[in-house]
Amino acid sequence: MIDKFVHIIRIYFAEAWLSYQGRFAITSPFGYIAGKLGFPFFLMLFFIFMGKYVGFSDPLYIVIGNILLIPASSGMGGVTLAISDERQWGTLSYVLGSPAPRGPVFMGRAFYYIVDGFVTALLGFGIAAGIFGLDLSTVNIFLLMICSLLIAVTSSGLGFLFGSISLVTRDGWMILSTFLSFLYILVGVNFPVASLPMILQKLSWGLPLTRGIMAARLVMEGEGWSSISSLITGEVLVGLVYIFIGYFFFLFLEKRSMHSGTLDAM
Amino acid sequence: MTHLRWGLIKQQMSVQFLVRTMNPLSLGLFVIQPAVFSAVGMLLSRAAGNSTPDLVYSVIGGGIMGMWSGLVFTSTFDIAGDRRNGMLELIVGSPTSLNLIESIRTFTNVLSGLFSLVLAFMAATFIFGYSFTGVNTWGVIVSLLLLLFAMWSIGVFLANFLAWSRLSGTFVDYLEMPIAFICGFMYPIRVLPVWLQHISGAIPIRWALEAMNESLLGSFDLKYLTIHWAMTIFLSLVLIAITTWMQVKVHDKIRLSGELSSI
Amino acid sequence: MDSFAIETKSLNKVFITKTGFWKNKSKSTMAVEDISFSVERGELFGLLGPNGAGKTTTVKMLTTLLLPTGGTAKILGMDVVKQTAEVRKHIGFAFSGSRGLYNRLTAFQNLKYFAELYSLKDDFANKRIPMLLDLVGLADRADDRVETYSSGMTQRLHLARALLHDPEVLFLDEPTVGIDPVGSRDLRKTIKNLLSLGKTILLTTHYMAEAEELCHRIAIVKKGNIVALDTPDALKRRISGESVIEASIQSDQIQVLIDKLKVLDQRTVITHDTTTEPEKLCIRTTEPGRVLELLSPYLNPQYILNLEARSQTLEDVYIAIIQGDQA
Repeated sequence: MIDKFVHIIRIYFAEAWLSYQGRFAITSPFGYIAGKLGFPFFLMLFFIFMGKYVGFSDPLYIVIGNILLIPASSGMGGVTLAISDERQWGTLSYVLGSPAPRGPVFMGRAFYYIVDGFVTALLGFGIAAGIFGLDLSTVNIFLLMICSLLIAVTSSGLGFLFGSISLVTRDGWMILSTFLSFLYILVGVNFPVASLPMILQKLSWGLPLTRGIMAARLVMEGEGWSSISSLITGEVLVGLVYIFIGYFFFLFLEKRSMHSGTLDAM
Repeated sequence: MTHLRWGLIKQQMSVQFLVRTMNPLSLGLFVIQPAVFSAVGMLLSRAAGNSTPDLVYSVIGGGIMGMWSGLVFTSTFDIAGDRRNGMLELIVGSPTSLNLIESIRTFTNVLSGLFSLVLAFMAATFIFGYSFTGVNTWGVIVSLLLLLFAMWSIGVFLANFLAWSRLSGTFVDYLEMPIAFICGFMYPIRVLPVWLQHISGAIPIRWALEAMNESLLGSFDLKYLTIHWAMTIFLSLVLIAITTWMQVKVHDKIRLSGELSSI
Repeated sequence: MDSFAIETKSLNKVFITKTGFWKNKSKSTMAVEDISFSVERGELFGLLGPNGAGKTTTVKMLTTLLLPTGGTAKILGMDVVKQTAEVRKHIGFAFSGSRGLYNRLTAFQNLKYFAELYSLKDDFANKRIPMLLDLVGLADRADDRVETYSSGMTQRLHLARALLHDPEVLFLDEPTVGIDPVGSRDLRKTIKNLLSLGKTILLTTHYMAEAEELCHRIAIVKKGNIVALDTPDALKRRISGESVIEASIQSDQIQVLIDKLKVLDQRTVITHDTTTEPEKLCIRTTEPGRVLELLSPYLNPQYILNLEARSQTLEDVYIAIIQGDQA
């Protein structure tokens, strides 16, 4: 039992290391950090000035929302790519043909992206405090960290789902990037969910991130655990649902592929 | 280039359409993403308490975003894809210069991007009932043509830079949002801090776009428009000159480093 | 025109790569150290060597895709560095593998595209493309997308592409890799036809039989240097007077047999092939009678399952050279 556990943990961290190595093999640390923070930073500035022009008076609302989107896109995008790349490079058969348990293999890959997104978000808050005068003096930093980490974890569940989809269609990551862009609208990143049309508001509450981002905003306003506990519980539950759906969808596709032989086809 | 090679232009454009443009990715690039940007603009406006959206900047600006993202993405993908599938070395190894190929490809990419803009105009007209009354039509047409020229000159410059090394793709990705942000794709330049407005003055797109937006908003100020058009032409030509100067160096560099075919 | 079709002098290529966490360290790799050879017009010249020996790098320098670090290379008297544009008009090249074609286009569309890159006139291209597709046996699949092709078909399409502009010098880098025996035989036939049309061909391959059948002369490349250059027959004569005796053996008795053979003279080369089942001992010797005498007590299933004497092949020469004793 213990051996099996150790084996799973080893696979988990070996996979995490592989993901990490995979990223640094093709880029330099400078390029990596610039890529990590550069795009979200300028996108955020773009939204801020869009807001300024139309009279949206709270730029910090956009700043916080966009920083919290970093761990979400890292968790989601990273896991999707970790799975879809296997197909792209033709190594999926070897992973599937091995006796390694699927959960640790792919969740191990998610680990790196979760930590990566989490750290980048914290860095983002630090930078925002310097540039935009984001006041962190009344903020419970520990709770803010919990919220950021939670957002990365719950969104990796969606990554699992999109990764699985990308195994059966070569346009998986296009579906993912389309979905990622919808997040600018749906989960309260740039404006409150309440300003969405009613039907989109309902959709928004069915997605991970909405509650996590809302909880983090409350923390930023100086609120404590009691004000966010229900939002956090909701976020965990919604996240778990997507992780399970993603995982079982993957297992389902793996089974199906044994009959149809479609998984490794480009 | 001693004469215009129409056959090559036709062939390269058709290959570009078949290989790169006609795929599901284009739907995301040219339709969905611009629509999302437009929606963010309109919903921000709604959250700010406005009852009607700003059609020129939020809707047509979304189309401009689509054109630009499509251009950056396709240019990056052109070179990276060719490098990955071994086409880059076959093109470089042919007697036709890579720069000529890139010029035609970029032209095709810019034309494909027009689809985004047309959709945005259609959305403004048919969904939001934009009447186009009082618009300086000729101003819009001339500015749009110059905008396409400016985008083409940047696209060719980027393509050359992308061929430089496999890492440059990452850096070009970083340019997508800064250029959109600094050139005021979805808001007037004047909302930016003055020093940023000065920086954007070096980018040809900004001048053509400003002229087009002002024409759409009914400006007939010929002096203003002429200055903007002249700046667009001048800065685009500067970029083309830099690209021409760079291409020999790029051609040598990629053959020295062996980065023609590396993945 | 008295110049060679291909001529290289002390060709050298060093790759510099950035390594380390901060990409601040440089590492240089010598891919080609010193390669000099010349190929006559109308000749089929083979470059043989193990993976990483520098064959493809050499071909890429000759096809203007890589700039040499040192030395010179000329094609039809034109310098590959100084007269790049001219050289490109006169050469064709095909690399192995499925890369280098647009998979979403048909064979005809791919060739039409390259015809434009090589500035072929429409009339000429429209006649030449069907002719080439016919030559490489793809006429009936001309309008199918390349993504539906087998590796052999892709390889043949590469050859058609390389021939589009009717180049005088052709570079074929491992053209038969991944092709079934019938496909490779057809391709070899096509290559011979090209020779009869007066083309000069430089071929790299791992298949000795292919090199022996096709090449007029062969250069064996090892660690970026040419270690042997001659006709296939002359190369084989290098180790003439030697016989090859192959023994299929029980693997646990290998040491006993090797110990027995130690008394043979120093020119005897014994190689042990563990990749076959049963394993093989290959003895290259000038004293075949002595070998048979030494091994005869062991000719029973406990030690030797089969014993065979045969004449030298190019493969024997290649192995001897690459393993260092004949260089």
